[in-house]
Amino acid sequence: MKKNWWKILGVLLLLYTILAGMLVPLKPGITRINPNRAAAGESVTISINGYNTHFAQGNEGIRAWLKLDDRRSLEANNIFVENDGLMHATFALPQNLPSTDKVIPMSLIVDNSIDGASVLPDAVFISQSQIDSVQGARLMPPRPIDGLNSFEGMTFPYRNILVESIRNMYFHVPLWFGMILIFALAVYYNWRYLQSGDANADLKGLSLIRVGVLYGILGLATGALWARFTWGQYWSWDVKQNMSAVAMLIYLAYFVLRGAMDDREKQARLSAVYSIFAFAALIPLLFVIPRLTDSLHPGNGGNPGFGGDDLDNTMRMVFYPAIIGWTLFGLWIAQLFYRKDRLLEKLYEN
Amino acid sequence: MKKYYFFLLFWIIGITEALADSGAYNEMMYSSGKIYVVLGVILIMFVGIIAYLIYLDRKLTKLENQINYDD
Repeated sequence: MKKNWWKILGVLLLLYTILAGMLVPLKPGITRINPNRAAAGESVTISINGYNTHFAQGNEGIRAWLKLDDRRSLEANNIFVENDGLMHATFALPQNLPSTDKVIPMSLIVDNSIDGASVLPDAVFISQSQIDSVQGARLMPPRPIDGLNSFEGMTFPYRNILVESIRNMYFHVPLWFGMILIFALAVYYNWRYLQSGDANADLKGLSLIRVGVLYGILGLATGALWARFTWGQYWSWDVKQNMSAVAMLIYLAYFVLRGAMDDREKQARLSAVYSIFAFAALIPLLFVIPRLTDSLHPGNGGNPGFGGDDLDNTMRMVFYPAIIGWTLFGLWIAQLFYRKDRLLEKLYEN
Repeated sequence: MKKYYFFLLFWIIGITEALADSGAYNEMMYSSGKIYVVLGVILIMFVGIIAYLIYLDRKLTKLENQINYDD
């Protein structure tokens, strides 16, 4: 029992990941509005659909704004709440806007006492026929939005395209993090084998690569499903998708290499060297090349790391334990394979 | 036996594609804030890990049989 504490820890962390990852609600947000375009000078009534919102319950003090920039915004002069998920806000748009553009995007902000403030960026496009930014600045004087409520309680961020599928951050992403940690440990054992010629180190490396490849293939499959309902298709030929598939093929060739040789010692030595080179190729494939071009994955295309609304502090409280949990779970499976292989080896020795 | 696993895989993909054509699959996956995408991801991982454990189980059975022959 004492020896197996890390298996128990891994399972407990996974249990926590699944419970917290599935049960913590999403922050209230705006799903869609109608109409999303209007002309300057008219009075427009916008229907606002909310997700997890409490428009009716938080009816007192419900407010809405169309925000132009950091200083200028327009407050709704009339709000009609239909139910918790649907409200209508009427805005009297001024004749001119303080801008020289013909079409100006404005963000929508809704605030009530229960949900706090929700923002839909570039929600409404206002077109103006005559451009007079000086007159517009007079009609829309700088007025800060103040007295916004904040949501109480633990939530995951609301992201418009992801919605609930943001929870895949605790299942799809830790598979890849776990895979990299497991492959790195395999490199350590391969190195140990090359130094000492210890057959057990070779078997440990083999088992770890087995589990790493399992995680990688599961990562590709789960990523494809997530992509189908986020980016529109299973395989978007996104650079990170392609490069991780290439990395998986490199690691699959490891098994081909092992199978191609009969001499046990030669097999172990060559595959150890191959695994070290495969890991050296894995890092640029996953972390360097996707950053050099445009990628659909967050944290790529010149924008280092993910953070902000993709991974806030509440998500980190589940995300990091998820990585440790999935890694320990993978190590457990690897250990079972290793014990099987060692038994087999013992059997043939005698 | 391995051949049949491949057939099973293609069969599952085929069924999924047929469902996708019917529109009911799309409708379900996009409903309730795409929570079914998360369910699908968890199911893929569950099935993948279980399949791996079955593979290990069969290898161990083979090993046990070999030990029994030696006795």
